[in-house]
Amino acid sequence: MTRNSKTETSAFARITTRREFGLAVLIALITIFVSFFDPRFLDAINLRDILVRCAPTAIVACGMMLVIVTAEIDISVGSLMALTAAAMGIMLSENEWNLSLWIGLPATLMLGTAVGLLTGLLVTVGKVPSIIVTLGLLTALRGFTTLMMGGKNIDGLPPSLQHAAKQGFWGIPLGVWVAACVLVMTLVIIAWTPLGRRIFAFGSSRYAATMCGLSEKPLKLFVFAYTGFLTALATIVDVPRLPTIESGIGLEFELLVVTCVVVGGVSINGGRGTLLGVLLAVVLMTMIRPVLTYLEIGEEAEKWTKAIQGTLIAIAVIGDSLLRRRRRGGPRS
Amino acid sequence: MNQPRAVAQFNYWHELVLFGLLIGLLGLAEYLSPGFLSLRGQLYLSRHLWVFAIMALSMTLIIIAGGIDLSVGSAMGLCAVAFGVTFEMTGQLPIAIIACLLTGVLGGLFNGALIARFKLHPLIVTLATYAAFRGMAEGISQGESYSQFGDRFSELSRATLLGIPLPGYLFFVLAVLVGLFLWRTPTGRSIYAIGHSAEAARFSGISVNRIRIGLYTFSGFLAGLATVIYVSRFDTAKADAGRGFELDVITAVVVGGTSIFGGRGTIVGTVLGLLLIHETRQFVGRYWQVDELKSIVVGVLLIVSVLIYQLLVRQRETRSH
Repeated sequence: MTRNSKTETSAFARITTRREFGLAVLIALITIFVSFFDPRFLDAINLRDILVRCAPTAIVACGMMLVIVTAEIDISVGSLMALTAAAMGIMLSENEWNLSLWIGLPATLMLGTAVGLLTGLLVTVGKVPSIIVTLGLLTALRGFTTLMMGGKNIDGLPPSLQHAAKQGFWGIPLGVWVAACVLVMTLVIIAWTPLGRRIFAFGSSRYAATMCGLSEKPLKLFVFAYTGFLTALATIVDVPRLPTIESGIGLEFELLVVTCVVVGGVSINGGRGTLLGVLLAVVLMTMIRPVLTYLEIGEEAEKWTKAIQGTLIAIAVIGDSLLRRRRRGGPRS
Repeated sequence: MNQPRAVAQFNYWHELVLFGLLIGLLGLAEYLSPGFLSLRGQLYLSRHLWVFAIMALSMTLIIIAGGIDLSVGSAMGLCAVAFGVTFEMTGQLPIAIIACLLTGVLGGLFNGALIARFKLHPLIVTLATYAAFRGMAEGISQGESYSQFGDRFSELSRATLLGIPLPGYLFFVLAVLVGLFLWRTPTGRSIYAIGHSAEAARFSGISVNRIRIGLYTFSGFLAGLATVIYVSRFDTAKADAGRGFELDVITAVVVGGTSIFGGRGTIVGTVLGLLLIHETRQFVGRYWQVDELKSIVVGVLLIVSVLIYQLLVRQRETRSH
């Protein structure tokens, strides 16, 4: 009997100390609090708006999660988003090349994948640390984008694309559909393919994985190319919502994505993390701004968005550290 | 006498190569765009350099110790707002400067305490404070900018002594002090040990935590100092001060030969890296007159410099083993 109760408490403890649990509770509490304050927060329109804002972050976070699980990092996604947005704009805009969607969109996706592949090659073959490669690309791609756009904004994207991004199908914008597909795809990769298992194997112990005969290069090439591809995808579904394409698109987007992945419980040292945690973190981070708006504390409050985001990251990692310590220090079965 | 051994034991190849590159670049620049090397022009352009240069010193120490500080740019924003707010309240420049430095120190101390006390990854902690510092600066200032600190304060960054701007002297003094500290003092040497293996350093009796906290606090202090120069130069203190500077600073340090994994790097290398990037930017801006090209060249320079090092130097090292 004692043994039974012990396992029960440990099961309870195991669930409540999970990052996903903490995030879900936090999201629920915030939602309840805000909807007491202003029931309109739960309106379909607002919920849809939050989902649409989540979409690009969630899409890229799927790739970033895999990158971080392999103990690498990619901080160039914001600049890559600007580059792919500019390329897409130039190819599709009726004031520019006015190409068909069937050429422009695949070309945009290929551009994103190619840059991701380049990052992967520099990391695996060139043996340059990923933070250096992507820091260099962060600067270079942004410069390249500004150069490409020549100081003017691009408008006149095809109306069909704009409509899909804003209204979507059956009342739900394209971004949300795509994000759902990407989440499922990533989940399948992680849970049911050898590729996904190998990525986690490498992240948790590079040495052990190498000893088991796994090779590192294809995995890393894949995660970087996948992230590049997803960044281009996020651009396609999110950028047409904006009235014009400017060179400042995606500024600091990389930090938001990395933040979401880390707050979602993916270890920066690799090998640990769940997709659900990342998804919840994306929702939480995206909620902050609409919540501040609905609380109607005034214009002043929205300026604090970033401070709140930063505090959340700090709380998440400190809490993690404390939990780890207690678990290690306390009696263990 | 034994020359091959002397060559093998020479530890400053990276600095030598950087120096060669710098000379080559300057020569090419002077050839393609005569007048580039004029002393007056160079000194005039140097005003772009000092703010970055000062922060690069502490960044070098932190990266050698195996850490990183992404929050320095945001810390500048917070320091600038602290400066502006205190000046508006008291009207006293010295108090504003002290508040600015103090904010930097406290911010750095906070980073260091989190990293050392909770054993958190520096990348994550400084990513959090990167957002938090900037957010606090934006929240407190509400987008307002503070200015009109008086002519005497503007003079601080513009005045020259023997043709060299005052911030230049400040940088030289700091660089020499930090360089000597790193090169000659036991604490300085132990920074390399921490970068190689923090575990081993702790077991050999180095107080790793105390040194780490000290380094991040120093980084915050230098961010405050850089802010004073920045505010003096533009005569405005705004929440967006120093946006994106952390990347430029890290780039200079890494191009200067400091290993991002820690354990290797020198102040001389960082100074050369700073100069190389600074001169490249000035030359590209002057010769092609396209501003965007600057960031492309600097980004490529960063990747290529590490790539060459990995392909050439690493290969030779592994072969000789």
